[in-house]
Amino acid sequence: MAPHRSHAKAWYGHGLPYVAKKRLPGHLIAIEGTDGVGRSAQIELLRPWLELEGYAVSNTGWTRSPLLSETINEAKAGHQLTVTTFSLLYAADFADRLEHEILPALQAGFIVIADRYMYTAFARNTVMGADPDWTREVFGMALVPDLVLYLDIDVESLIPRVIMGKGMDYWESGMHLALGTDLFDSFERYQSRLIDEYRRLSSEFGFISVDARLPIEELQGELRKHIAEYLSGANGKPRPESGENGVSRKE
Amino acid sequence: MQRGKKKNLLTPTTFSLLHAVDFADRLTYQILPPLKAGMIVLADRYVYTAFARDVARGVHPDWVRAVYSPALRPDLTLYFRVPIDISLERLLSGRAKLKYHEAGMDVGLSADPVESFRMFQSHVLEIYDQLTTEFGMRPIDAAAEIPDQQKVVRTMVQEILRDYDLERANGKNGATSQPR
Repeated sequence: MAPHRSHAKAWYGHGLPYVAKKRLPGHLIAIEGTDGVGRSAQIELLRPWLELEGYAVSNTGWTRSPLLSETINEAKAGHQLTVTTFSLLYAADFADRLEHEILPALQAGFIVIADRYMYTAFARNTVMGADPDWTREVFGMALVPDLVLYLDIDVESLIPRVIMGKGMDYWESGMHLALGTDLFDSFERYQSRLIDEYRRLSSEFGFISVDARLPIEELQGELRKHIAEYLSGANGKPRPESGENGVSRKE
Repeated sequence: MQRGKKKNLLTPTTFSLLHAVDFADRLTYQILPPLKAGMIVLADRYVYTAFARDVARGVHPDWVRAVYSPALRPDLTLYFRVPIDISLERLLSGRAKLKYHEAGMDVGLSADPVESFRMFQSHVLEIYDQLTTEFGMRPIDAAAEIPDQQKVVRTMVQEILRDYDLERANGKNGATSQPR
């Protein structure tokens, strides 16, 4: 990444015309990656590190808006959604968090760590068969992140993690796409397609890709290294100590 | 959507997107199947309502058009045009007060609902007038007597249906579907 990156924020498309242009001194860091790849665990470790470095940190996660998280869960339970209504509900959830959480935090100078960002919608919608251009236009209200860290994994390595974790679930296995009657086969096919799509997006949008097969502490070290590099470029400050063993700084 | 509206938590963008969800759902379940079956679908409001109302709230006109791009273009769009005073009078005679969002109270133009309605809906009407040209909507004078409006409407509808195949629509009188 360029060391002297310009720190101006940009809308991805038309943005939010009714939102007054304000200075956004904070940093927006998106963590992308498929289901079960370990995003949340890594974010939990990033937060205390950044706080010790003197940054105020705010988290925001996919479908966690107070406005819509319940609605989305109810709609999923009812299985009445089409790819279009699905996409629009995710977009509404995203917009709600953007306006109520992300923008105010950036204005106040926080580092906002987004657990998934618009690229997750791009990947999922494409796999579900929505017109990719349409999805991108709908997300034209989004702010482009300063840094996108992509946790990359192959489906073979993902499978045992998910099984040993919380197990394969209906949606993450893409059972709604009717790819097969077997949960395992469906998961494998759906997640392979998603990963292919994420990788394509990664080169298109210039994600920083990190190997999610690494042990948790090493992966954390990688993420910290990239974040520190970005922050030193953005602030013109000496880079924060990323630490050899990332996790040891937790306590 | 009622949940969000009640708490007045919606921003112009989430307001727009939630209405789009509702629309897309009606498109899939109520509009497309009868159309494919050769039926006539009467839609009470269509995407143009969003193009006017959401843009008056501040979203980008191109963005809202893109959001609604999965929609079909209607064969005929009738625009019932009415001056602000008459619509205000009609709404207030039917019920005690204006609804929060229909008065555009969320836009913050005025603390007085009636004044806010007047300002917000005037803007909406201006946009509708532009849309009429952009999308070839057929304006109907909604201040006229109802039987007179109905005559005009029937003439326009008959013109569109000149070649409509009643047999295909399965029944002598054709079939009609009304998604709200």
